[in-house]
Amino acid sequence: MNRVFIRSVGLVPVGEHWEKGLADLMYEAASNALLAAPGIKPDKIIVGNMFSGYAEHQEQLGSLLASTLGMAGVSAIKVEAACGSGGVAVHEGYLSIKSGEYENVLVVGVEKMKDMGTGKATKALSMAESAEYTQVAGASFISLNALLSKVYMAHYGRKDEEMASFPVIAHRNGVTAAHAQFRKEITVKDVLSSAIIADPIRLLSSPPAGDGAAAVLLSSKGGEVEVLASEVATNQFIFQERENLLDFMASRIASSRAVAKAGIGVSMIDFMEVHDAFPVVAALALESIGISKPGMAPIDAMNGRFNCDGELPIGTFGGLKARGHPVGATGAYQVAEAYLQLSGGAGKNQIGGAKIGLTHNVGGIDSTCAVHVLRSAI
Amino acid sequence: MIPISYWRNRRSYTALMGSRCRACGAEYFPPVRVCRKCKSRDIEPREMPRKGTLITYTKLTEPAEEFGKQTPVYLGLIELSNGVKLVSTLADVSESELNEGAPVSMVIRRWTEEGPTGIIYYGYKFKVDAAYSMS
Repeated sequence: MNRVFIRSVGLVPVGEHWEKGLADLMYEAASNALLAAPGIKPDKIIVGNMFSGYAEHQEQLGSLLASTLGMAGVSAIKVEAACGSGGVAVHEGYLSIKSGEYENVLVVGVEKMKDMGTGKATKALSMAESAEYTQVAGASFISLNALLSKVYMAHYGRKDEEMASFPVIAHRNGVTAAHAQFRKEITVKDVLSSAIIADPIRLLSSPPAGDGAAAVLLSSKGGEVEVLASEVATNQFIFQERENLLDFMASRIASSRAVAKAGIGVSMIDFMEVHDAFPVVAALALESIGISKPGMAPIDAMNGRFNCDGELPIGTFGGLKARGHPVGATGAYQVAEAYLQLSGGAGKNQIGGAKIGLTHNVGGIDSTCAVHVLRSAI
Repeated sequence: MIPISYWRNRRSYTALMGSRCRACGAEYFPPVRVCRKCKSRDIEPREMPRKGTLITYTKLTEPAEEFGKQTPVYLGLIELSNGVKLVSTLADVSESELNEGAPVSMVIRRWTEEGPTGIIYYGYKFKVDAAYSMS
């Protein structure tokens, strides 16, 4: 079977792009990647996106991007897995090359969140959950994460100030990241004094809404980073139906399979881009991957284990909290950021000596999880 | 809310109609087609008990726009007396009563409405039992 490499990446800074539409954002990210890989002509395009139909009345993003790039004729599709759309899109690109059917696949994650305003965006995000049985009951996506946070904190005796370590790490890493939405440090006190959205989740412990697009050009013909493994798994779709709410089964299955297929041990991972949408999600991700003991990830975070100069840096360009979380694009940003780290192109955010990185992207509350293990091939 | 979808699921929304597996007896809400535990497809409709306890709750200050008039929305994670968990809006809330383990019962309340002349959608909410409130 073919090996899969990342040839180049393209990033649009996450933020408020009032002057750019979906096609503009996709074009910018894709062009940056294609210009960095002269002579490479994609034979397939995969777009990861969550709610372009709801937000912008636009579907069929695969064909739209192909034509925007002047490449009508090429194979092109859109894939969707809520906030995990970007990671799942990279996974489909990986499979396309692995199968031998395609040689160069352009993967673009894109989301346009700002045009529709906060009320509609809250509704759009809730579409990750059951329309018939969760949205109708008045539950927004943040409120379900708030319930999960309360269950986690009660079960393990964790405190607000411990949970707040995650957004503090994210914002510190975002300061020097050119494509991050927020480039400003915050303190635990800032987090705990910010407005409550759904107790215990506050403004500064939830990700911002932003527009963004990230491109990853995959190739069988070599590149500076190799994708060693790409795995997708699912958890029980309706969160409250799960017997153990604190078991991130999709994350656990996808990461254990990916680590095994990559032929590495968890201890060999030099950095991780985890889906730190909310502190509890970062914590359960790290625990399900086997990095922290159950209930201990916030303590590890507080003790500096996940800082850029710590044992296992996470969210090295600010993560979902500071780089931003243009939902369907996030998984593509993570893989692009891992490429920058492993090819020595991370600038001031460079993790010295990084050889192996892992990306972890979820849709819903761990309903879908995409994990990638990447290795420097320089 | 999608009107026909509401109509289709009305028994679940107004009577907590869920499922019971005829093979192993496991109960579910919302209804399932395949038993999660024994994988049987021999499933019958089953009304859930209307009593349970509060596991935890959150006070939501930015609900989705159709619930804006009800801000703040109190959202509870509830364990029914048969062990089935569900997420529901809480009604008639007095925050001091929202303790872990508080006994709660289902009531029918207004969910959302389509403007002053449109459809009003009713469905289950849960409230803390009066006996607990007074104690």
